[in-house]
Amino acid sequence: MMPQKPRAPSRMNEYQTSRVWFMRLCFVILALTTLFMHLLPLSTLPSAWAMPDLLLGFAFAWSVRRPDFVPVILLAAVLLLSDLLLQRPPGLWAVLILLCCENLKLRAQSLRAANFVIEWTSVAALIFGAMVIYRLIMAILLIEQPSLGLHLIQTAMTILSYPAVVFITHAFMGVRKSVPGDLETSGGRL
Amino acid sequence: MANNRSNSQDYTVPLRQLLLVVVSLVLISVFLVWRIDSPRVERFRAQVTDRIVPNFDWVMAPVTGTINLFRDYQSYQRIAEQNQELRRELRKMQSWKEAALQLEQENARLLDLNHVRLDPRLTFITGVVLADSGSPFRQSVLLNVGARDGLVDGWATMDGIGLVGRISGVAQNTSRVILLTDASSRIPATIQPSGQRAIIAGDNTAAPPLDFIENPDLVRPGDRVVSSGDGGVFPAGLVIGQVAADPGGRLRVRLAADYERLEFLRVLRSYTAEPVTNTAQILAPGLAANDATETAGTVADE
Repeated sequence: MMPQKPRAPSRMNEYQTSRVWFMRLCFVILALTTLFMHLLPLSTLPSAWAMPDLLLGFAFAWSVRRPDFVPVILLAAVLLLSDLLLQRPPGLWAVLILLCCENLKLRAQSLRAANFVIEWTSVAALIFGAMVIYRLIMAILLIEQPSLGLHLIQTAMTILSYPAVVFITHAFMGVRKSVPGDLETSGGRL
Repeated sequence: MANNRSNSQDYTVPLRQLLLVVVSLVLISVFLVWRIDSPRVERFRAQVTDRIVPNFDWVMAPVTGTINLFRDYQSYQRIAEQNQELRRELRKMQSWKEAALQLEQENARLLDLNHVRLDPRLTFITGVVLADSGSPFRQSVLLNVGARDGLVDGWATMDGIGLVGRISGVAQNTSRVILLTDASSRIPATIQPSGQRAIIAGDNTAAPPLDFIENPDLVRPGDRVVSSGDGGVFPAGLVIGQVAADPGGRLRVRLAADYERLEFLRVLRSYTAEPVTNTAQILAPGLAANDATETAGTVADE
């Protein structure tokens, strides 16, 4: 599975590869848990406010911190699944968020060095931008849109909940900005 | 730091970008296929849901139960007050019960005189609510009965009291009920006692508005709303709720079904309605209009 490297893979390397796969599995479990929370039939009355889209927050937080834990295929699969289960037009929201995550991964190096406010601002800009494009495309293709007020509330909630999501990611899941030592195995692999 | 990685990055970066492009194209094409042929993709969605959600059931039921228990606990705090209230209501109910019993006897006598035979085929299947739509923009629930139990798209769904919605999307073990409150729900109704026809058009609020009332002057808040059976959608005469006017003066329906807690739903078997062969008519109202004009056209041709 490992591409043949010039150096012989050490035991440390193997340990880290298995850790990467373990964390990928963790991400899938995390995604399923958030979907599960959304699907709980607690109240079937239409509500005036909306829960934050936690899956989105986690995907962004993980993309900034450890891009190798959330590879493209995994993200795409999880996002498409959430589109299907949460009654959204399948594929559209998934592709927008995927592109946002990839954008964050490209900037991950500089974002890791910067402080949290900058990270938060850029994540907020991406979430808001994704929402605007999503609504725009739905308007162009004449798809029935979710009500604007509710959608804005959800977007705001997602942005506001981002620091909490980052805190949970950091404190309880141990997904931290990588230190130079970790990069050997993880770095460029898909 | 960057030097360490440069070797491996040389070939993985373009590969990664290629993968991203391919994956994005796949997702976009899924979306476009959905836009073009929504029934097929919706069926696929129903199958995916059917595969995944019932697996959550064993943990979903206890979690929901526990959370509801905590919510109930909050209401226990004013239990004495509620008790008083209930006693007062019970006294009122007893007088109504007497009236109901008398009416029942009278009704039985009259039916006997007429030799009325109630339609034995109007029976129901009871299902348990597995999950809700999961999104604040959609109002639907997932039931644990499906094609296995003989469910058909378009059947009416009730809780013990009133109409809740209609089946839209049947998979092997599960089926989705679009609630009357969903923004895409349109149900023809009759308002009693004036007999006015109207459409209940869901708009993602708890009390859906009444559209297309023939003569709004004849409709008063408090009037009963029942399903009209127009268009062969539902059996006629299912209780939906009461008319209420919102502060803007718009007429809405206060639904009789207890939408706060939908747990067990009855799906009414109805064979009188035309079979819905084209799922598009249920999933996307826009398509239904097209189909209607097409069929009208073909009939005219013949």
